[in-house]
Amino acid sequence: MKALSTFLFVLIGFQVLAQTKITGQVRDQKGDVVPLANVILQDTYDGTSADVEGKFEFTTTETGKQILVVKFMGYKDFVKEIDVMGKTIYVDAELEEAINELSAVTISAGAFMASDEKRRTVFRAIDIATTAGATADIAGALNTLPGTQKVGESGRLFVRGGDGNETRTFIDGMVVLDAYSPAGPNTPSRGRFLPFMFKGTSFSTGGYSAEFGQALSSALALDSKDNAELTRTDIGILSVGGDIAHTQAWKGGSAAGKIQYTNIRPYFNLVEQDVDWKKMPSSLETSAAFRQHLGKSGMIKFYGNFNQTDYALYNHPIDNPQARNLYDLTNKYRYMNGFFKNVLNENWSVRGGVSYTYQQNNALAAADNIIETQKGLHAKTVLEGALSEKIELKSGVEMITRTYDQDFFLAEGADYTRGFEETVTAVFTEADVYTSNSFVTRAGARLEYNALSKDIAVDPRLSLAYKTGDNSQVSLAYGKFRQSPNDLWLRLNKELNAEKADHYILNFQHIADDRTFRAEAYYKKYNDLVKFAGDDASDLNNNGNGFAKGFELFWRDNKTVKNVDYWFSYSFLDTERNYLQFPKASVPNFASRHNFSVVYKHFIKDLKSQAGLTYSYASGRAYNNPNQVKFNDGKTPHYSDLSFNWSYLPRPYVIIHFSCTNLLGRDNIFGYEYASTPDAEGVYNGRSIRLSAPRFLFLGIFITLSKEKSINQLPSL
Amino acid sequence: MNSYTMKNYSKLLLIIIFFNVSAAFANDEKYIAAMQKNIDALYKAQDPAAIQNVVNALDRIAAAEKTKWEPQYYIGYGYVMMAFRESDKVKKDSYLDLSLAAINKGKELLPNDSEFAALEGFVHMIRVTVDPPTRGPQFGRLSMEMFEKSLALNPENPRALALKAQMQYGTAKFFGQSTTEACTTLNASLTKFETFKSENVLAPTWGKIMADGMKEDCK
Repeated sequence: MKALSTFLFVLIGFQVLAQTKITGQVRDQKGDVVPLANVILQDTYDGTSADVEGKFEFTTTETGKQILVVKFMGYKDFVKEIDVMGKTIYVDAELEEAINELSAVTISAGAFMASDEKRRTVFRAIDIATTAGATADIAGALNTLPGTQKVGESGRLFVRGGDGNETRTFIDGMVVLDAYSPAGPNTPSRGRFLPFMFKGTSFSTGGYSAEFGQALSSALALDSKDNAELTRTDIGILSVGGDIAHTQAWKGGSAAGKIQYTNIRPYFNLVEQDVDWKKMPSSLETSAAFRQHLGKSGMIKFYGNFNQTDYALYNHPIDNPQARNLYDLTNKYRYMNGFFKNVLNENWSVRGGVSYTYQQNNALAAADNIIETQKGLHAKTVLEGALSEKIELKSGVEMITRTYDQDFFLAEGADYTRGFEETVTAVFTEADVYTSNSFVTRAGARLEYNALSKDIAVDPRLSLAYKTGDNSQVSLAYGKFRQSPNDLWLRLNKELNAEKADHYILNFQHIADDRTFRAEAYYKKYNDLVKFAGDDASDLNNNGNGFAKGFELFWRDNKTVKNVDYWFSYSFLDTERNYLQFPKASVPNFASRHNFSVVYKHFIKDLKSQAGLTYSYASGRAYNNPNQVKFNDGKTPHYSDLSFNWSYLPRPYVIIHFSCTNLLGRDNIFGYEYASTPDAEGVYNGRSIRLSAPRFLFLGIFITLSKEKSINQLPSL
Repeated sequence: MNSYTMKNYSKLLLIIIFFNVSAAFANDEKYIAAMQKNIDALYKAQDPAAIQNVVNALDRIAAAEKTKWEPQYYIGYGYVMMAFRESDKVKKDSYLDLSLAAINKGKELLPNDSEFAALEGFVHMIRVTVDPPTRGPQFGRLSMEMFEKSLALNPENPRALALKAQMQYGTAKFFGQSTTEACTTLNASLTKFETFKSENVLAPTWGKIMADGMKEDCK
């Protein structure tokens, strides 16, 4: 009996002894305390939470080899095998941070991302629709961001001393040959693609990814939406036409079609235009989209856009304003884009697509008929994935083939044709290497072969970003870029080589509490620009060059004043080029030294409205006056514009949208044009280049019909 | 085998069975006790550190009880509460991601459950508050879909009704429309809170205070 009780006593005593204390401290790799981590003895209930100083302590009755796990949000699990045998165990848990797309540094040099999915974005997709003066045009809204130039008569994106042709548009990674609708003389053109189609917009003002080639100054990458969740019909009644769209959605896919008719005549009859119209612009457009998810994460998308626009007007020569020279244009445009994406395994995915652009301008100038036809085919495949948690890799191959023909059917003289066919084949690869959540290096290269110029070249790209604080980071970018010369010159001389640019960018960004500050400085060097060997374009070479340098500031505040969102952009540009007919290095005619914009948006709940104001300013632009001895010595007055918009939601499914540009009616002058020959007194007569009407007014009513009553077109406007 | 040994044998068998059953019973008792303690603490927790502590404890239980859905449900609920109280948008999204991860794990253990659907709708609803103009259309719709799904699975679920009433109320206010529909839903919710019963002692009971708080708006 005694033996038994001794045995029992030992047993109980052993149990008491088996209470092991486990204590420790949780820190990160930098030695900073990590508070409130979870400390777990695996497969038991035992464990505790660390306190705010990262200290923990608990006891366990388990014995033998055990696994201790320490975990906390943003870090990888700390795992350690411990021998539990009664003695107090002390554990120093050093947590390694996990690379986390939410908190990790991002490459911000030159990049403006607008996405609903990414969280730290400077610009949101909805901003495009709600910026006054932009009238829901993508380029119009982006023109309020730093790095862009106001070139009011064009409507295109001019970036950092580059002309409008140097900005390339891509949809789902596929090139769009001409992304703008034709517009009458001195009327800003609008983008062909409506912002509502896209879930994300990435606008880069330099130093962009090796994936994007054939763009000298800027890449505008638009990502189309993956999903249409609802079957709906949208009706738009506009002051310049109307549209109707229908979307049919099913589980995992959707199809949509839209037809739009635009006729500006009623508007032009109401608001006088400084154009001698024969037939005012009208256009008919249809577009279709199809999207289908395949398997768990595969996807195919198809998009097609078909447009026909025509107008006719009379030009008045500078020297003979009474004369009327007919110009009649019919533009036919088709764009088709097919996209696929498939996930190969946990780490790798493949995407790619094919795009086709066809554009024909059939122009009647007096008795001459000139038909300009462009066709482009782009095919691309990209493999992307993660080599490890810290290294992401993107590699791809692409081919862009395009043909350009200009056929002249002349009233007098022999008909002739000029044009070219160009095929650019490229491979690119790029790696993002995360040293930590605070430091990332992106290194890539693009090898391009141009079958027309027989040119083969490798362009390196390099970006670095370093997080200087929880909310701030600095970023550096360098890259070499090339683009075939403008069709205007390539059609005259097929031997021309690509124009080249080197970008150097330094960026600082601070984002906290709905307030964003960005500052960026850059230097851009242009080489091999097209140059006239003589006085005219008959003899062209690649001997031109130039530079652009400057700095930009951006401030956005969505917080300080309730229901108010505003941003401010300033760009300083110092640029000169010696190209085309320039006798010496000089400021190109589209460049202005100072640009700034203030965008203000106010949500007025009681009126169920959002109102917006945008003020834009650009300092004067250089122009050449042939009557002056000095080249390019003229300077236009500055440009300024105050635009207004108002969106009113009387019902959840109805929006009334009104906008007006140039409220103050300023007579902006963009430059001067001169007669090619002097008059009898030896004077070159000239006239100013200005908009055909000082203001543009727009009124639209948008109605959405669907089973769910609270859906409207606001996000798509 | 004689009767004596037979008797002893059956006794032994009984003892073994008894011990096994009681051990299993004790295990479940231990689980329920631990869960009840933490659920109680979760409902009472106010500051993020207190919620994090409970979530940690639940996470430890979940790690040991891999077949139980309740720990995942309350981890999901805890992170929604943390997201609700967080002002930093990036952190808010991170908490919601953690909540959704727990809900998805729980849904695998208990598919087609009304409570999980309601909680998931709650996550989407908080997601809207990060950036209403941008997030509203997508996540507002997702949350309503989840509340409808929750109610299809169990029309008696008062939490789904209370959350749905909140969404309806917010939408009606935004467009300056009548809040009658929202208040009808709210009243249904208040009635269901009185009658809602579950066999499971660990079943969720939260939401009544939120619904009571809305009463003022519907007067």
